[in-house]
Amino acid sequence: MKKITFVIDLDRCIGCRACQISCKQENGVALGACRNEVKQIGPIGTYPDIQMYFLPAMCQHCENPTCAEVCPTGACYKDPSDGVVRIDRNVCIGCRTCEGACPYKVNTFNAELRVMDKCNICESLRAEGETPACVKNCAGRALHVGDINDPDSEVSKLLSEAGEENIYTLRDFGNKPGVRYILRRDKWIDVLPQDSDKTKGVAEL
Amino acid sequence: MKDIFMKAAGISAELKAVCGCPGLVESAKAVQEKADEVVKIRTACRACIANCGVIATIKNGRVVKLEGDPKNKMSKGRLCSKGLSGIQALYNPNRIKYPMMRVGERGENKWKRVSWDEALDYVAVKLMDIREKYGAESVMCSTGGGGNPQFTSIPRFCNLFGTPNWFEPGSAQCYLPRLLTYNLMYGGDDSSIADSNALEIYYHEDTPMKAICLWGVAPSMSCAGQGGGQLAELRAKGVKSIVVDPRMTPDAAKADVWLPVRPGTDVALQLTWINYIITNKLYDEEFVMKWTNLPYLVSTETKECWRAARGNGPGEADTFMVWDKKTNSAQPLEYPWNDAYDVELDGTYEIDGVTYKTGFRMLVDRVSEWTLAKGAEVCWLPEDKIEEAVKLYAENTPGGLCIGVATDQSPNSVEAAMGANIIDMLLGNVERPGSLMQRFGAKKPIDVEVIPFANEALPYEQLCKRLGGIEYKGLIMWQTAHVPSCLEAMENANPYPIKAWIDRSGNKLAVLANGDRWVKAMRNLDLMVHMYTNYTSFSAYCDVLLPTTEWLETNYVQKALNTVTIRQPAAHLYETIDEALVWCLIGKYLAKHGHETMQKSYDPEFMGHNYTNFDSMTECMEHFTSKIGMTWEEFKTLSNEAPYEYASEEEFRTYYLYRELDESGKPRGFMTGSKKCEAYGEGFITLGRTGLPYTGKALPPASEDYDPLPKYHEPAESPVSDPETAKEYPLVMTNGRVPYYHHSTLRNVPWLREIYPVPEIWVTPADAAKYGIEDGKWVWVESKRGKIRAKASVTTAIRPGTVYMERFWNPENLNSDTHGWQEMNVNMLSRSEGPYNRVVGTYTLRGYLVKISPAEGAPEGVWTKPSDFKKWLPEYSDSVPELTSSEV
Repeated sequence: MKKITFVIDLDRCIGCRACQISCKQENGVALGACRNEVKQIGPIGTYPDIQMYFLPAMCQHCENPTCAEVCPTGACYKDPSDGVVRIDRNVCIGCRTCEGACPYKVNTFNAELRVMDKCNICESLRAEGETPACVKNCAGRALHVGDINDPDSEVSKLLSEAGEENIYTLRDFGNKPGVRYILRRDKWIDVLPQDSDKTKGVAEL
Repeated sequence: MKDIFMKAAGISAELKAVCGCPGLVESAKAVQEKADEVVKIRTACRACIANCGVIATIKNGRVVKLEGDPKNKMSKGRLCSKGLSGIQALYNPNRIKYPMMRVGERGENKWKRVSWDEALDYVAVKLMDIREKYGAESVMCSTGGGGNPQFTSIPRFCNLFGTPNWFEPGSAQCYLPRLLTYNLMYGGDDSSIADSNALEIYYHEDTPMKAICLWGVAPSMSCAGQGGGQLAELRAKGVKSIVVDPRMTPDAAKADVWLPVRPGTDVALQLTWINYIITNKLYDEEFVMKWTNLPYLVSTETKECWRAARGNGPGEADTFMVWDKKTNSAQPLEYPWNDAYDVELDGTYEIDGVTYKTGFRMLVDRVSEWTLAKGAEVCWLPEDKIEEAVKLYAENTPGGLCIGVATDQSPNSVEAAMGANIIDMLLGNVERPGSLMQRFGAKKPIDVEVIPFANEALPYEQLCKRLGGIEYKGLIMWQTAHVPSCLEAMENANPYPIKAWIDRSGNKLAVLANGDRWVKAMRNLDLMVHMYTNYTSFSAYCDVLLPTTEWLETNYVQKALNTVTIRQPAAHLYETIDEALVWCLIGKYLAKHGHETMQKSYDPEFMGHNYTNFDSMTECMEHFTSKIGMTWEEFKTLSNEAPYEYASEEEFRTYYLYRELDESGKPRGFMTGSKKCEAYGEGFITLGRTGLPYTGKALPPASEDYDPLPKYHEPAESPVSDPETAKEYPLVMTNGRVPYYHHSTLRNVPWLREIYPVPEIWVTPADAAKYGIEDGKWVWVESKRGKIRAKASVTTAIRPGTVYMERFWNPENLNSDTHGWQEMNVNMLSRSEGPYNRVVGTYTLRGYLVKISPAEGAPEGVWTKPSDFKKWLPEYSDSVPELTSSEV
């Protein structure tokens, strides 16, 4: 079965946020909302034993998405054909239940349309055979997207090159987040994206 | 890709098919009658100075999408947040849409719309009047790097007008110190990544580079789409990196060694490195001996190299004296080398009552006091980290040291560039595969210059009047005046008055030190003109505003490795005109009112290789395309398919150019007087005495000789040099880029302001506790010169005792009493007073003393919430609004 998701090489992410802006442009995301946001993790420690890295945080396209579980109308669902979690705007009633349910706070409410909004891995671009806007413009070539269940895909190769010991996901609450993060240079910090500020300037976690 | 307008019913699948396969054009045309008109063009960004390749999608005449161009050789499909926000800059409600004339008093910011004819006529009459009363030198022009299509228009205009006085807030404070120093000591490209040099980094697939040193440079912040991305590639393939920067930039975070140097002490650290490299014999002896001037004997009296003979005419190197160990005597060494001698690299000799030392010995004498311990003490760094860094760099050649803008922003500017040169010359990191100092393209050059300086038009007696021009002769490389001397002339008519100021750039008041002094001095001026895309704080104090085009509306060409990148209009709004053309238009109106040289600026014989002034941008661009046998239209069509390749990669990417034999049968060497790498910077002495090689006719000497070797000068206002001031102002201020803005631009772009709405001040947890500062809370920041506010970011990403802020201003307050430049502008605090760099006159934008204290809240009127910025969103409509003559 297909599992389309992001594989993100954090050693390459330089925190420029081109992904954020290109997403806003491509998907018409409102001011104040974000489908993806680059979080700064750290600096943690004291010079010279100090580290900092950037974490692009978007919908994790979970295997068991809590947001879909709680959606009263079925607007939020996991597409069985490719594993991407979607929101059907025509069915969403804007009750915001899924907003509270997402463990990573990566879905946002579109106040103008009164519907929930989140990353669908640039569904319309992919339908035309293009790469998602964030991947296309990524300055560090950190962002990659593809089918991690296909061993011949670019993302699968990246993962096998990185090695199990360097692959991370956000904290799993049973929802099984799909996005894979590769990190070799720094120590992985198990922090939720919404809590990233708490890592700034601390001696240790 | 085809530059074709197609009917595609807004279905981008069709669009893509058509773009990718010209054969499908017919079927696409047949899609629907009521189709949207969609076109994609290849252009290049100018949100900063990097020229990243862009594909712009235009739908029904409106630009709807920007993305990176995968065919661009340097940006390779990447585009950063600044470039991606181009649409919001283009359609920004804050744009200057029509020529405007002031109504009411200066500073009231009240305007009426006028025609271009009226505005230009007014300006020309005033300029002619001022020239007659005070002399042409009383007219001053300025520009800036922000969104600048090409800065040569400004010196060209000044040269034709007859004034020697123009400047950039950059120049001596940005890039000129490095460009000048690499030019004098090496003669090839400097190693600045942000200025689109250091081209070796773009060949990450096969470069043998082992280490890169980023000294006061953060490509991830300044040019994410080009250098930032390439650094990520280099690190990914295992290239070691060393970052010297007081703050932990993303590049510092990913470096193998990070040295958080005390701001302003970079040269001390370089001298420490040089001493370590020499003491531990880590230098490349073969290269140093044969390809630098360090073995040459230098008179300790004159500081000049001892010449046995001058070269016969240009292009032939002089013959210098060396010490031959075989004969135990000084011998003439004819270029390039003489194996008959056993040349001494390091020695001191008494000859006929004069003490001579080799250049190497002069350097050793200069650096020998700089032990690791002394470097550590002065730079506030641990000794072992300094050693780890210099060893990592010196033992991993080939490599390259990129020196960034940081050192250009304090009076040690030229010295820091000299230090960078010497380090790479000692290590032999010159023109070998894997080094940053290169002359790619020199064997098959292409001249893309379409707006030459026209230096010949400026009379010699006018050149001699350039403000600060005699004392700071390095400025002559860019033909620019000394910024603090311009301020002095404005304030005190010393040595003569400035009466008119024409500026083209973002916001001078945010980037010049001590904007308050400039604003007061403006009262002495009879004419203030601003040409720009947007209203800025500076506009508020002007008499005339001239609307210029955004980068998405402009034409230009720029080299990208072995190709030429095109910039072409994706749209055109209002009555905006390309600034390059505006300078010509002012010239035209001056000609009409009797300006003799401007009248001659249309005479091909008079203008010669400088081209005549032009009446359209097409005419201007054809200065280039005519050389390759094309019209501008043809070049656009060709470029839409792929960037124009003027040389193959093999022809472009050449190494060891200095070893190649020229017509004389000798190696071509380097582009210096000695044809060697002049690690002993004798050229600086000549420059200070005459202005050569940057002027045709020698100028009077500066008041003292320039130093041929780098020397560390403690910042004038530091805890070490000025402990009295440090009692009240204990922290050292530094600045540096964020990835969302370039210089003073883009603060009115919603997508960028919502990410970074107000400037942060970085302060360590210990310093924060000491001064009662809390993370995320407002802070007063004060120096002896001013007081502003910023938001605290309490972080260990800055070295203790130091604070960091980036330049800022607030367009939302344009109509308030502050005009938006006084609330959070770090340059209210910086120093326009001396000491200045001896060679180029750099003043102090970084490395001065401040204090911090908690503030109650944000300055009045400033926007901080994302929803605030809605007012600056493009106003979408079905078509571009019609112009109405009554609109004001």
